[in-house]
Amino acid sequence: MSENVLVSVHNVTKSFSLAGTFKKKRHTAVNNVSLDILKGETLALVGESGCGKSTLARLIMRLTEPDSGEIIFDGTDITSLSGRALRPFRKRMQMVFQDPASSLDPRMKIRDIIAEPMEIWKICPDRRERAERIMELLEMVELKESALDKYPDQLSGGQRQRVGIARAISIDPELIICDESVSALDVSVQAQILNLLKRLKKKLGLSCLFISHDLSVVDFIADRVCVMLNGEICETAEPDILFTKPQHEYTRYLISSIPEIKAFINGGKNEYHQ
Amino acid sequence: MKDRLLEIRDLTVSLKKKNSSIPIVKGIDMIIKRGEIAGLVGESGCGKSMTARSLMRIQPPSAIVDGSILWYEADGTSTDLTKLKEKELRKMCGPQIGMVFQEPMTSLNPMIRIGDQVAEALLIHKMAGSRREARDKVIRILKEVGIRDPELRYRSYPHELSGGMRQRVVIAMAMICEPKLLIADEPTTALDVTTEAQILKLIRQMCTTRNMSALVITHNMGVVSQLCDRVYVMYTGRILERAPVGEIFSKPLHPYTKGLLSSIPRIGSNPEYLTTIPGSIPETDQKTSGCEFCLRCSEDERRCFFEMPEETGYAEEHYVRCFAAQHRMEAENE
Repeated sequence: MSENVLVSVHNVTKSFSLAGTFKKKRHTAVNNVSLDILKGETLALVGESGCGKSTLARLIMRLTEPDSGEIIFDGTDITSLSGRALRPFRKRMQMVFQDPASSLDPRMKIRDIIAEPMEIWKICPDRRERAERIMELLEMVELKESALDKYPDQLSGGQRQRVGIARAISIDPELIICDESVSALDVSVQAQILNLLKRLKKKLGLSCLFISHDLSVVDFIADRVCVMLNGEICETAEPDILFTKPQHEYTRYLISSIPEIKAFINGGKNEYHQ
Repeated sequence: MKDRLLEIRDLTVSLKKKNSSIPIVKGIDMIIKRGEIAGLVGESGCGKSMTARSLMRIQPPSAIVDGSILWYEADGTSTDLTKLKEKELRKMCGPQIGMVFQEPMTSLNPMIRIGDQVAEALLIHKMAGSRREARDKVIRILKEVGIRDPELRYRSYPHELSGGMRQRVVIAMAMICEPKLLIADEPTTALDVTTEAQILKLIRQMCTTRNMSALVITHNMGVVSQLCDRVYVMYTGRILERAPVGEIFSKPLHPYTKGLLSSIPRIGSNPEYLTTIPGSIPETDQKTSGCEFCLRCSEDERRCFFEMPEETGYAEEHYVRCFAAQHRMEAENE
């Protein structure tokens, strides 16, 4: 079992202080959470806004420090590592953000955006090799070569998100964290990006932590789903089981809230339209 | 005729640029009946918000609006909203037409207590005799939209409320003058699913209890299926298909509608990959005499490229603008 685990989170807690400098009030964003991300697995994290999904992702990336608990990446405890010792681990996990417009530097060309991580990690230092690698990445995310000399604002939302994905996979990470990566996109574009993510994951054997509030998206992409509520994980299950036999009351509430169109497809009528 | 509330005839909106104009809405027709919720669906940039804004004449200053928007009174007489003077139209906005915007954070003034913001419309339209009466009305409506402790919340500022609560306040603002038509532009896009469900239920409930009509603009097919009675599918400024809600989901005719529906991941269906619409929406300055969708269409014919198909009826109140769909209908009839 433990050989298959890429990231293991043990009893992690993180709280933030609220209001005034002298007040002692604190908000616990992540409360005593434990989870494992297996190798090659897509683990989805669902829950309402403010339930701590993003904070948990930032903790795993070591972008924020946990108050207590430990985060183990491929057998090494990275909670106490800092600076230089942490650097090799940074290369092994990458993030795809929600808003592709604000996560790409508007003053950089697409070519430079995709090349920047390779520059930092000194991958493919040879110019020709680097150009080849960029072309290969473009092909993987299904972008045209003409996009390379454009600026982010010249691309559509879907294309920008493809650039964000190309940048994340450019240094062959083992874990990709997608924080609401498809929620800002139109349905037809969202479907394209979801297919792309699934295909890439299969091809590169990536592990993926997929954060979303959209349960139908999660059902499509995830191997396992964690439902979060008020900073705690209240249920973990495979999507098939989660949607057919939800155990926790909150999961049931979430599922009942999805605007469902299945009834119409089957020729029936929705409960709202009697 | 009597059950009509609003009729849009050949509405066009174009944006003026230096020496050209870009068409955004290209001649749409729409009828909203009394007590009915109409849904306008389409992807970003297809002109749905521009349509809604031009109804209330709050489009950007560079936009040119053409066509007629007929408002029907209960006795069957109609007035054209586009021909009204600014002052007369402003009298309509509030008492007759209310609008809910997408982002509850930006459509509320952060410096004013929410109660006073909701009361503003009442005082402007002189629908309350005194401030006290206005206050009572506001508290009643806040309660109706599901805000707990409305007396206390009256004095809250927008930042003190959650997203769902703020959206309820925005709905209360639109509803306070008891309009006959509610225009809701992406009312739940910024909200969580659980809150979304509550807000949808609230809008539906309000429409039923007050016999109010609504025009709901959204890109979410799930929202449409839960809320709307009639659906208009819009693509690059044109209505490609319109039908009662059940028909659109059980018998979609236009390839674009079909594509949209199949793009939505559905719980329990477990496909390996989703069916997608290839390509992306065309640039606004791209001109074609034919169907704008033909480059992404799976059933395109040669003439789609040169000719815009006319709207043809498939069933009662189910219309589609597509050659391929026409052929299929003809084959079906034979």
